[in-house]
Amino acid sequence: MTAFEPICEKCEELIQPYLDRELSEAERIEAEGHLAGCGYCSERYRFESRLRTYVRQACCQEEMSPELKAKLSMLRTPLSD
Amino acid sequence: MAEAETDARRLATDARDRVRFEEEVLELADQVYRVARRLVSSREEAEDLVQETYARAFRSWRSYTPGTNLRAWLMRILTNLNIDRGRREQRTPDMQPMEEGDYFLYNRLEETSGTPDDERIVERLSQDSIVEALSNVPHDFRDAIVLVDIGDFSYQEAAQILDVPIGTIMSRLHRGRRILKGELAESVAGEEQ
Repeated sequence: MTAFEPICEKCEELIQPYLDRELSEAERIEAEGHLAGCGYCSERYRFESRLRTYVRQACCQEEMSPELKAKLSMLRTPLSD
Repeated sequence: MAEAETDARRLATDARDRVRFEEEVLELADQVYRVARRLVSSREEAEDLVQETYARAFRSWRSYTPGTNLRAWLMRILTNLNIDRGRREQRTPDMQPMEEGDYFLYNRLEETSGTPDDERIVERLSQDSIVEALSNVPHDFRDAIVLVDIGDFSYQEAAQILDVPIGTIMSRLHRGRRILKGELAESVAGEEQ
């Protein structure tokens, strides 16, 4: 594992907005350039990325019930109004 | 006569627009429910919140500007109603994991894994522990995480939905994700004991 360097602190700051696709073009290039050459950060980047997917899967498992769907449809304004 | 015809045409256009609006709103119901389910603690509360959101959306359909972001418009109703409901107790964030940085959870899992397996390290977290950890994140931070990570909203959209500056969304996300990871690290530590 590469030793933790000061530049990795900057990379760490960029990882979350990078995963959110919210970096400017210049910042994105900076983040990708660093990730490509730093094993320490790229391992953690992969973890953060998987964690996002995992959180999303865990939190989206429960589907809305058909009863609730039916209730929502019934809330629509009657056409005769 | 001409006036009556104009009125009839206007009413028909109005009815058609409303039906189209209601259909589009109903198509988003699964996404609205997913977000609602993570903003509140129980299935029942989420169902109530979604029903209230739809009742209000249908009532105030004229306040929606066609061509703008309907999903964000709905979420704004949802999050406002959730605040109005006087929801959830405030919980003071645990400050301890905040000092650890974004890599805190990875480092913690790696330390306790024996041989770190990059591919499988995240799988040490159970799905139940993730749901529970998220529910333990204080609501302001959780709202930002739920909108961006589960609702797929951009920072800008989340800022509009919650009516806060974009910088606030960024700091809430940053802090909220660290709290979430701190909670997950605690759950892993708990399992090991």
